Amino acid sequence: MRIRTLLVVVCLMASVFPVQADPPPPPPDTYTSNPGADLWRDVRQRDGEIRGVTQVKSTGADVLINVSGENWRQYRMQELIPKASAAIVIVLAMIVIFRLIRGNIGLSGGRSGMKILRFTTNQRYAHWSTAILFVILGLTGLTLLLGRKVLIPLFGAEGFSNIAVAAKFLHDYLGPLFVFTLTWLFVLFVRDNLPSPKVDLQWLLSGGGLFGKHAHADRFNMGEKGWFWLASIGGLAVIISGLVLDFPIFGQSRATMEFYHFVHSLSAVVLIVISFGHIYMGTAAYEATFEVMQTGYCDAQWAKDHHDLWYEKVKDTALPEEQLQSGSNAGMAQRGSTDTA
Amino acid sequence: MARMKFYCDAERCIECNACVTACKNEHDIPWGVNRRRVVTIKDGEQGERSLSVACMHCSDAPCAAVCPVDIFYTTSDGIVLHDKDLCIGCGYCFYACPFGAPQFPEEAAFSSRGKMDKCTFCAGGPEDDNSSEEYKKYGRNRIAEGKLPLCAEMCSTHALLAGDADVLSDIYRKRVINRGASAFDWGVNFDKAKL
Repeated sequence: MRIRTLLVVVCLMASVFPVQADPPPPPPDTYTSNPGADLWRDVRQRDGEIRGVTQVKSTGADVLINVSGENWRQYRMQELIPKASAAIVIVLAMIVIFRLIRGNIGLSGGRSGMKILRFTTNQRYAHWSTAILFVILGLTGLTLLLGRKVLIPLFGAEGFSNIAVAAKFLHDYLGPLFVFTLTWLFVLFVRDNLPSPKVDLQWLLSGGGLFGKHAHADRFNMGEKGWFWLASIGGLAVIISGLVLDFPIFGQSRATMEFYHFVHSLSAVVLIVISFGHIYMGTAAYEATFEVMQTGYCDAQWAKDHHDLWYEKVKDTALPEEQLQSGSNAGMAQRGSTDTA
Repeated sequence: MARMKFYCDAERCIECNACVTACKNEHDIPWGVNRRRVVTIKDGEQGERSLSVACMHCSDAPCAAVCPVDIFYTTSDGIVLHDKDLCIGCGYCFYACPFGAPQFPEEAAFSSRGKMDKCTFCAGGPEDDNSSEEYKKYGRNRIAEGKLPLCAEMCSTHALLAGDADVLSDIYRKRVINRGASAFDWGVNFDKAKL
């Protein structure tokens, strides 16, 4: 009886305070990150740049591992140096082959003895300032790029180190002058280098006279215009990147310097390689060409051959050579007097 | 032959910067040049760790690869040294180095770089061992005296180790066996363990 009562009470209590089985334990976390691995992932900059804190105050001191360095090394050692060397050798070889095939290309029918003013003194100074600066900067730049391979075997480590110090000094201090000479050159020559699509396309389709016949050309043919615009745009890239590299006082990061070195070296190598073509065309390829930028005057026959459309415009200004002998300014004055007479 | 390496144990480094100070003092290093530095990751946050870093004396050293004047050489102990007489201060080694080891005193106009200075593993340079000329350019040559780099020798927690790579890996391996690679090891994460 008492037991039954007790059972009923227990049952009643059980309905009021239900006794439940323990819920199943939550599944253990299958993924917990490893703090050691997290640390090294941060150090190695796997998930983007992680900067730490350090007492040392210098550029990039708070970065433990500079990941861009290896890419830059790869670019400089595996891409830039071998490909720049190859490009230089290939272009020089092409010039030699061109020379062997075409020889010294003369004027059709020889010199006329009449001279036409092609470049003013101002234009020639702009050209030669830029050209001399370009040659110095190009040679010193190539010294730093290829000297270890090419010049150390010739001069020894110490000898080359002295050359490299001089090259770097010249490159660093003369480089900024390029800003001025290139701007000067651009302003003087841009008008006649604006494209004239019809003539330029014809010139391009005829192979630019490389294979014989001259194509029509105004004051500058399409090849010259191409070089002008390449030198201007490439020159701008070289100037901007060069200024960033030249003045490491603004706390430029290593990644910044690597990027601008990439821009600088690539555009400079392109300019250098193409300048070989320009230098050869302007000096030894064609008769009576070098004297044009040297004296400012071209032979009338040369103008007719190379720049026929321009010649048609300026042929009235041609002067006999003897009249120029006493100096270009005197020649100009004389021409003025003969015109009025 | 030994292959000399540094190893910094992130579980032990307490960011005291004594290695930095010892290095500057031992080699009489000028202002603005730090051959060694301590960098703290996640400063003040969970998982904060500090590491002391200097030239790691790479087997395939990027600085040596990109140097335009080829001034780097590796000693028979695997220490990467350089010849300051030939350095032109171009900074290429600094761009290529993963560890930010090359340092440049500001020398001429527009902060142009002087001759590069970096950790020598306390092994001087190409000059005669412990000559005054070597000391002036590279600091003391402890290796020639049979001693290891001072930064590691005086590290109070033995976080920074310097010496033959085989010996260092043995020491570190024993530490890992005893305590795990990290004090917060696998499976224990204070975020997720609902204590």
